[in-house]
Formats: sequence, structure tokens, C-alpha cells
Amino acid sequence: GFDNWNVLIIVFTEMRDKLRKWREDNHRNSEQIVDVGEELINEHASKLGDDIWIIYEQVMIAALDCSRDDLAWTCLQELKRQFPGSQRVKRLAGMRLEALEKYEDASKQYDSILQDDPTNTAARKRKISILKAQGKSAEAIRELNEYLEQFVGDQEAWHELSELYINEHDYGKAAFCLEELMMTNPHNHLYCEQYAEVKYTQGGLENLELSRKYFAQALKLNNRNMRALFGLYMSASHIAACPKVNATVKKANVRYAAWATNQINRAYQVSHAMCCVLLKQ
Amino acid sequence: LSYFCLFHSGAYCKMLLHAAKYPHCAVNGLLVAEKQKEKKKDSHSTPILCVDCIPLFHGTLALAPMLEVALTLIDTWCKENKYVIAGYYQANERTKDFRPNQVAEKVGARIAENFSEAAMIMVDSTRFTMGCYEPILAIYDHHENKWKCRDCNVDSFEDWCEAQKITSALLEGRSYESLIDFDNHLDDLRNDWTNPEINKSVLHLC
Repeated sequence: GFDNWNVLIIVFTEMRDKLRKWREDNHRNSEQIVDVGEELINEHASKLGDDIWIIYEQVMIAALDCSRDDLAWTCLQELKRQFPGSQRVKRLAGMRLEALEKYEDASKQYDSILQDDPTNTAARKRKISILKAQGKSAEAIRELNEYLEQFVGDQEAWHELSELYINEHDYGKAAFCLEELMMTNPHNHLYCEQYAEVKYTQGGLENLELSRKYFAQALKLNNRNMRALFGLYMSASHIAACPKVNATVKKANVRYAAWATNQINRAYQVSHAMCCVLLKQ
Repeated sequence: LSYFCLFHSGAYCKMLLHAAKYPHCAVNGLLVAEKQKEKKKDSHSTPILCVDCIPLFHGTLALAPMLEVALTLIDTWCKENKYVIAGYYQANERTKDFRPNQVAEKVGARIAENFSEAAMIMVDSTRFTMGCYEPILAIYDHHENKWKCRDCNVDSFEDWCEAQKITSALLEGRSYESLIDFDNHLDDLRNDWTNPEINKSVLHLC
């Protein structure tokens, strides 16, 4: 009756809104996207209007993640039919080839996009992803550096490069990438905190002091960043324990560490955490 | 001389759930054993029973500060529960890559400093199935500053049939969606890295 119809509409809008939120947050919860998206496409396609195309794209990529080539293929065919000759759809076809580990075919697909449009950043990034998938880290790093010379404002690329460097234990170069990101995003607490972690990992008194400063900066930008709070405690404690530091520096860092301990304990109390931890000095 | 390492079903299952939750990332974590009261003369013939698993991180594993925090907190928790950190596990980002890397060797060596029979475990994702028909781990022992691979088969388990049944059931039921690792804990302190809910599910299925 009337009640059932209302419930169906609510369910449909909830599903559509969930997919939108996951799209906006760039969430890689592929199994959930496939669950919700497949049902939406199969049962409610007519109600989606023009949203359906971006949903086909989102569900296709999630389907590739879940080895659902059947679903990915269906979505791709719908998009090909609606947008013949589209570079964006060509890229999706390339991603499907990547998922099937047909890297040479995928690469050719991206090359053909780049022939028509040499500034197509998506195709260039997919080519670098192929190198990453094949374990060719050095080449991926080289290509990404070349890409960034041309597209110096691409934050996603700088972040990807910092991660590639970290995985290669090249912390100096990772720090450089994060410095670029901090310069263009001075209010982003995550970049500060990641930079501090890299400096800490590099080690040595100078890097420890830098790491402490940037953990503190991250906390200023977001006082609920637990990694920054723990990092402040760890870096200050290590500096205080270092035989090379003078009494003034030691005293200051003991104070920072004590403050951090206090804040950490309060945070645990506030969150009613199960594990009772008291960090001892 | 190889140190015999036995896995409790709950420990094995949490390792695989962690890898299943983040199929596109590298993951790592710790294994804990019950602290032995006395060290007998022929203690290497007594198997070390890995009773629990603490999932640590997903994504970038090669940074030091949060790892140090985790080791400190978990060490404290171990002491309170008469456990000892007995092993380290890692699943690499790329499925086909199941060799230990620098991170695995470093953390493994660090654990071996406090526990000489420490094991380093690599998860072989190429053999990862829902049915869990075979153990998919490679176990490495620390000998003279080198890591030597030892075969992991059904004898490495307290009860392989139970481990297989439980792990498979929890994978089918998508329990990995609620698995908490240390990264999740740092995102929200209310997230409990001891995973009491999953422990309950494991007990139910035993």
C-alpha cells in the first residue's frame, strides 16, 4: 500500500546518498559500493536520472576491486553506449585491463588517449599505477617526478610520490614532497603530522627536534590528532634522553613530554577506552 | 634448530581478517604468546603457542613513531596479561610479493631482542581463499642475524581444522569489516585493538 511505497523511496534515497558520500570522501569500501550500487542499478535505474552515469563509473571501479568482472563489464557497456569515444570511458576500459593484469594492453589504451590528448593527466597517472602494480618502484618514481615537473600543483601526485619514497626508505625525498604539500596547504594537519613522522624516522637530534615542532604544529591545527599527540610525547622524550642536549633543552622537552602524557591520559579517559594506559616518565 | 611455533585459531584468523579488510594495502601486526614460567633446559622442544594477534597498521608501514607507540602500549598490555610479544606478521601491498622486506626484518629483529624464539610471518596472498583450504603463511626464524624460512603446514596449528573452519566462517560473514587495528585506534581511541567482539565470535565457533 501507501506505506510500502514510502519505505521504498526512503531506501532508494538512502542508497543513492550513501554512494554520493562515498564518492565525495573517495572511500575505497568497494564491497559495500558493489552491494549498494548493484541493487540501485538493477532495481532503481529509472529513478536515478543523470546520476546513473557517475554511479556506473563508481560501481565499475568498485567491481574491479572485488573481481566482479561481470558487473564491471555491464557498467562499462552502458557508459560506452552513452558516451561513445569518451576519453574518460576509455580510461575505465584501461582500468579493467589493469584489473585483469593485461598491463601491456592497458598501457596501449592509455597511450592512445595520450595521443589524442597529451595533457590527459588521468591516463598518465594510470601508466604510473601500472609500474607500481608491477613492482617497478624506481621507474614509477622517475615517471612521477617527470609528471610533477609538468603538473607541479597536483597534490594527489605529490602525496603518492611521498609514499613511494617512504616505501623505498628514502625519507629525505619523502620529506621534500611533504614540504611541497605543507607549503600549498598550510592548514592541513595531516601533512604536518606525516612530515613529523618522516623526520622522526630519519633520526638524529636535529630531525627529532624538527619532528617535535611539526607534531606540535599539527596539534595546533587539530588538537584531536592522536598521532600528533603521541608523536610529540615520543620525540620530546627522545630529545630529553639524548646525552648531547644541554640542561635547558632537556628541561623544556621533559616539560613537553609531561604535557603530552597528561593530554594523552585525558584523551583516553574521555573516550572511555578499554585499555588503561599510564605512560610513565 | 628450529623453534616450533603453534597458532591458536583466533590468532590465525585475525591475521587473515586484517589482510582481507585492506586488500589494497600492506598490513602488519604482532603475535603474542603466553609467558613461560620457567625456562627448561630443553625449552626449544616446547612449542611456542601464539595465542593472540594484534593487528597494527595498514598502508605505509615504513615509518617509526607510531610503531614505537604501538610496541610500547602493547608491551605494557602484555605484561598485565602475562603475555609476551612472540612474533610479527606482514602482508605486502602487491599480492605476488610475499618476501620479507626491510620493515619485516627490522621489526622482527627488534622483537627477537626481547624474545629469542621470535617468528617473522609473511602472509602469502596468492593462496588466500574464502575456504581457507591450506595455511597461507611462511614462517621465518632468526638465526645468526639472518632470517631462515621454515615450512608452515597443518602441524603448525593447535587445531588446523578448527582454525580453518573459524577463519572461513568469519571471512564469509565479512567479520573483517569490524576488525580493529592500531591505525583505527589512533583514528578513534574508542576502537579497541584487542578486538573483543571478534574474540567472542571465535569462541562461539570453537
